[in-house]
Amino acid sequence: MSTVVNPDLNTKLVKFGNKSEWNECYHCGNCTAVCSLTEDENLFPRKVIRQLQMGLKDKFNSNIDPWLCYYCGDCSETCPRDANPGEMMMSARRYLTSVYDWTGLSGLFFKSVPALIIAFILVAVSVIGIGYVKQFNPESVMEFGHVFEKMIIFAVVLLILIPNIFRMFWLTILKEKIKAPFFLYVKGIWDLFVHMFTQKKSLKCEKNTFRWFEHFLVVIGYILLLVVTVFFNWFSTENPYIIWFGYIVGGLVFIITFDFILGRIKKNKEISKFSHPSDWLFVIWLFLMGFTAFIVRILIDTDLISNNLWLYIVHLIVIAQWGILIVPFGKWTHFLYRSFAIYFANLKRAGLNR
Amino acid sequence: MVKQNSRAVIFQERKNSGLEKLEQFAGEFPEVKEVWFATDLPLKDKKNLSTRIIESGVEKIIIAGESPGELKSFVSAALAGAGKNPEDISLVSVNGTMLSDGDLLSVFKAKILCAVKDVHFELASDPPENEVNKKTLVIGAGIAGIQASLEIANAGIDVTLIEKTGTIGGHMAMFDKTFPTLDCAACILTPKMVEVGQHPNIELLTYSEVLDVSGEAGDYTVKVFKKTRRVDLATCIGCGDCTAKCPVSVPSEFDAGTTMRKAIYIPFPQAVPNKYILDGDNCTYVQKGKCGVCAKVCPVECIYLDDKDETIEIKVGNIIVATGFKTFDAEKVERFGYGKYPNVLTSLEFERLLNAAGPTGGSIVFRSKDKKGNGIFEANSDSPERIALIHCVGSRDENYNTHCSRVCCMYSLKMAHLVKEKLPDAEVSEYYIDMRSFGKGYEEFYERIKKEGIDIIRGRTAKVEEKNGNLVLRSEDIEGMKIIEKEVDMVVLSVGLEPGEDSQKLAKSLNILTDDVGWFTELNSTNQTVNTVRGGIFVAGVCQGPKDIPDSVAQGSAAAARVIQSVINSKVKRGLSDLSYNDIETKVNELISTEE
Repeated sequence: MSTVVNPDLNTKLVKFGNKSEWNECYHCGNCTAVCSLTEDENLFPRKVIRQLQMGLKDKFNSNIDPWLCYYCGDCSETCPRDANPGEMMMSARRYLTSVYDWTGLSGLFFKSVPALIIAFILVAVSVIGIGYVKQFNPESVMEFGHVFEKMIIFAVVLLILIPNIFRMFWLTILKEKIKAPFFLYVKGIWDLFVHMFTQKKSLKCEKNTFRWFEHFLVVIGYILLLVVTVFFNWFSTENPYIIWFGYIVGGLVFIITFDFILGRIKKNKEISKFSHPSDWLFVIWLFLMGFTAFIVRILIDTDLISNNLWLYIVHLIVIAQWGILIVPFGKWTHFLYRSFAIYFANLKRAGLNR
Repeated sequence: MVKQNSRAVIFQERKNSGLEKLEQFAGEFPEVKEVWFATDLPLKDKKNLSTRIIESGVEKIIIAGESPGELKSFVSAALAGAGKNPEDISLVSVNGTMLSDGDLLSVFKAKILCAVKDVHFELASDPPENEVNKKTLVIGAGIAGIQASLEIANAGIDVTLIEKTGTIGGHMAMFDKTFPTLDCAACILTPKMVEVGQHPNIELLTYSEVLDVSGEAGDYTVKVFKKTRRVDLATCIGCGDCTAKCPVSVPSEFDAGTTMRKAIYIPFPQAVPNKYILDGDNCTYVQKGKCGVCAKVCPVECIYLDDKDETIEIKVGNIIVATGFKTFDAEKVERFGYGKYPNVLTSLEFERLLNAAGPTGGSIVFRSKDKKGNGIFEANSDSPERIALIHCVGSRDENYNTHCSRVCCMYSLKMAHLVKEKLPDAEVSEYYIDMRSFGKGYEEFYERIKKEGIDIIRGRTAKVEEKNGNLVLRSEDIEGMKIIEKEVDMVVLSVGLEPGEDSQKLAKSLNILTDDVGWFTELNSTNQTVNTVRGGIFVAGVCQGPKDIPDSVAQGSAAAARVIQSVINSKVKRGLSDLSYNDIETKVNELISTEE
């Protein structure tokens, strides 16, 4: 079997990151050994850097390892060459997201800030246009908003997320000719969902406990906020339990994401030292989503919404940008890729050990 | 003739305030038509430079920078492309980062002057000579200082050898075997030490430090701080009665803290001078005015408890600096648990355990505790069965020292061998980044050790932790493509070398330069390897940069050769730092006029 060497791989990845010092690496293996998540079959980050330096693009594209790293930053802190392996893994995750995405838009948005801004503006203008068509009547605008939320979830899952997961499956398992026993495919599903909602694996990183807890609350809060607004129609309901429940989960989301944003501003931890535009967008929009939803419901409860419809429009813009841009093409996808990576890695391990 | 005189200067580094001064200076010569910065030239584009050369009518190019040779082939090709002689290039080494220094700026200016005028810098910068005081000072009595002193003394020249500690011998005296020949270190060193002690031409000042140096090449006045030993060297018979009665015990420096010594002590049995020292910092009498039992029991009454330190002045013509190194402080790397786990050792401690004359008589044992809770090693303790050696601790690491310490790979291999010799059933493993066995016979030594049943693993150890009473280290086995979590009984950290604590202070009083790490800077790394910018001051041994014993000995001899040369000629060359720009300019003009 021949291996194609692609010398441009390095420059390609540079475009997805903040730091590109990985060429300083002299392969001592410190990063792999200091990491609590590495195993014999998943020797990262060093082996990933090796593939990168050697330009082994096919191997790199089929590599699951970047998704198994939860970026505690130990490798970057102790790297004897200041090669910043942790940030390399982060860049690799962005790059792989663009590789899995069949539309090519992920790559465009990760690499080009102007493209991102134009897309965000287009979405915002469309939402305002729809408001105009509906003559800014609160009831019909909010009704439209509710239908739109359901539609966009359906469309994104069906057209983007599921095909991209299949591409990931093809690249990491089928293309690598991994043959795992069928029962593992079934057995792994439970684990897949546990990891998807809990990120249990990141608890193995020693310093991560508090961050894991925050992350866990955000995931749960986000999902419940989705459920409560989309399926229980939070903004129109009269049920006091649902209203209070919505307040709690909405508050949870924006309070914790506020702490995430502060961390990225303070840069006091290795993980928050280097923020890519996609990282900022992700935390800020998550915050805005929780925050605007919270305010809108307060306005509804105080009967002020008809005079302040613009606030609902802002909320709808945030939701639309989130649902149309960040979820399918941005950082949101790590929710799926990380958990599927654990699923695929188990298959791969079984396939290799056969 | 005008054609031949047109030159261009290319500066290799990016423009900074220092280079700007040189740029202006170079531009003022009528011969210099153009001054370029390589960072502004498109360095991939030879054609571009050829065009510039043709347009400006330049015939010869001067490349100035830290490593100007790197640009030579590029410039040479561009000259050829312009139809000029590709050999018309002068290389000038100027160090952009050192330009803030006033002395050096004039030296660099002079170098450019010589290149512009086609005069060899070495010819023009030949400093005048001074009369020399034949007496020589050697600072530091490790193997390099001892070697230099003996070479000079054996040539019939008087030497004063100053040593900071109470005995000569330095680090080498602590070692058991030398690599790669596995010779007994003491068998090589102790005869030399004895020779120094008895040599009629060597005056030994132990327990002394250089405070200040004044004067110029050939006539230096050195202020020496002589700490009092509080024991009269002439009358002490070395009986040891004082030590037996002394109630104070502190970690022994010579044994790298693996055992305790008394406040009045002899560093080790073969110490030169083989007389006792009273360590005032730890003596109860000196500190609190009580005790004094040593003086009472001394049969020859040679202990003077109230003696004071003194400062003396000596006059010398040449000075050799051979102050050696200190080892990296392993406690800085918390992940290895040195200082936290008793059986994580530094290589220097382990060296003492291996040494037949060490605290355990050469048995490798676990650390135990004495009555006061100090961690010491005793001969009758249990021996470990699994030992791991970790390379590059504090070396080649951006977080600590970036330099390679040069000796650690080889001494670690040596230690692995010695462990196998003493404990044949022990499981020994080594973890390295790159195996640097560069010297004569070193690679062969490595091949030999590989066959001795030692696990030599490529992969830097990331952490050492204690689990269930065992030390567990975690490392990547790069060649075996797996993660290693290995249980061991003892971990040895191969610590790197650092400049000695007082080296900056000493450099200041000697008025010589150090590099960014703190090693003393030689005048030229290829042909003036022991000279410094000051005439009559030479460097030898590890204080100039990490090196092993054979290299230290060689450099000691080389420095001695320079001194002997100057004493035989009764002249010593002044240093580059004594020359002014005007001196060199005058000389250049002289040389040019004689040529014509």
